[in-house]
Amino acid sequence: MPMTEEEVFEKVKETLVEALGVDDEEVAPQATLTGDLGAESIDFLDIVFRLEKAFNIKIPRGELFPDNVLNDPELVQGGKLTESGLSQLKQRMPHADFSQFEQDPDVNKLGDLFKVQTIINYITKKLNDS
Amino acid sequence: MSRRRVVITGMGTVNPLGHDVASTWAGVLGSKSGISVNELFDASTFPSTFAAQVKDFELADHIDNPSEHRHAGRHCGFALGAAREAWEQSGLDRCDWLDRRRLGIYLGSGEGSLDFDNFTSLMIDAWENGRVNTGRWAELALKRMDLHREVEQESNMVVAHLARQYGVRGPAFNVLTACAASTQAMGESTWQIRRGDADVMISGGAHSMIHPYGVTGFNRLTAISVRNDQVETASRPFDMTRDGFVLGEGASVLILEEFEHAKSRGAPIFAEILGYGASADAFRITDQDPQGDGAAAAMRGALADAGVAAHQIHYISAHGTGTRQNDEVETKAVKAVFGEYAYKIPISSTKSMLGHLIAAAGATELITCILALRDQILPPTTNYNTPDPNCDLDYVPNEPRKASLEVVMSNSFGFGGQNNSLIITKPPQ
Repeated sequence: MPMTEEEVFEKVKETLVEALGVDDEEVAPQATLTGDLGAESIDFLDIVFRLEKAFNIKIPRGELFPDNVLNDPELVQGGKLTESGLSQLKQRMPHADFSQFEQDPDVNKLGDLFKVQTIINYITKKLNDS
Repeated sequence: MSRRRVVITGMGTVNPLGHDVASTWAGVLGSKSGISVNELFDASTFPSTFAAQVKDFELADHIDNPSEHRHAGRHCGFALGAAREAWEQSGLDRCDWLDRRRLGIYLGSGEGSLDFDNFTSLMIDAWENGRVNTGRWAELALKRMDLHREVEQESNMVVAHLARQYGVRGPAFNVLTACAASTQAMGESTWQIRRGDADVMISGGAHSMIHPYGVTGFNRLTAISVRNDQVETASRPFDMTRDGFVLGEGASVLILEEFEHAKSRGAPIFAEILGYGASADAFRITDQDPQGDGAAAAMRGALADAGVAAHQIHYISAHGTGTRQNDEVETKAVKAVFGEYAYKIPISSTKSMLGHLIAAAGATELITCILALRDQILPPTTNYNTPDPNCDLDYVPNEPRKASLEVVMSNSFGFGGQNNSLIITKPPQ
């Protein structure tokens, strides 16, 4: 069933508050999961698990938060994403906003792609496609 | 070269008698009971319907960042509360030159609890022809298992949470030798400092087994009291009518520190650790060596390590669980080590009030020893009314007693035959 972006945001917010133990107001669309909300690796798995339940959808592994990006020498060189790495990641994450990251595709800043808005975009598209 | 000396500069505890050291000590000196009907789950149909529970504990009352530890298990929350009290009491929160690489942690912490309801429902749903269908199990468990609960039930998690909370960068260990664990952890922490591997050690233990699985296990072993009609007085160490220990829960944390390090920062010093002894029974799993040889060996080891003679011990905090076997064997072992002098040493078991905190028992009891030294008073063995001819020593019945104390011993013995003794004394002058 399609939902408005606002409705999706509310539900995502609830999910993140529960998963990360953060306050409502901290969950702003532009908040990064790792930097601002303190998520660690186990939390990313937990968030996917909770989103699947909250929205009654199936999230295939690596679709929302891609894995195995960093261990391909074709895609990463000298700590930065190569051009083909960047374009592949963009393809895999149409739900993320790359405008800032592509100016300096440092792998250490990869986490900044995972914002609350990234999840909202992903879920909204997923619901509308189904 | 003389050996590096180890002192105690901080103490904290969360247990059935209180959520800090002061209220716990007031409870002990008031001969209070921490035991009541089990409120953690409905145990009304269990052989034991009661336990020594920590009540009304809120992590947010103890630390400023509870959300960072939101997935921590019940016992880990207790440990975070106890650690904060110990850390602040020792003044380490105000020591800006503390070298975190010289700060270690060694706990005797228990496992966390099973995600009981979730686990059971998975089992039921995967049950087929009298066994678990593992294919079905995998399919369901991958969907429903709570990741955090799974990780947090590991016994090293308390070490991980406390290390994170206090920036511990030195050696980190956990030992889980059942009821002997936290005494062993403090003994081994002492050696970490003596050897020079660390200057400050966070030590102690945490445990909660008051869940359906834990209680059933101890009931099946007939190890815990079933005195459901008199729950408050059910823990009766050394008394003729004793019928098992009372399962408790909690955490105690102590800051152990090299003496010169403590002096140089003007830390409060509560006691010095003089000696530590450890042994194994090499006998059976749930029976102690009936001659008490293992227990005696731990006590002798602690005396030798401390370099004190048996007659210099002024008090023994007994393991004193209240099982038929332990109290008799411990009495026999004390006689073997101390000879005729055994009849003159006051011995008591605060498990009569606190219940048995399992892995956390030894650390909690060592705190009572430190306070006994400080206040020159002996904690009692409560609920002691009917002498047992096989337990014929001075158990400090029912009321605390004034005494002149210099050097005291604390015993802990674990299922499986691990025995540990510690000897402490008043702060060095």
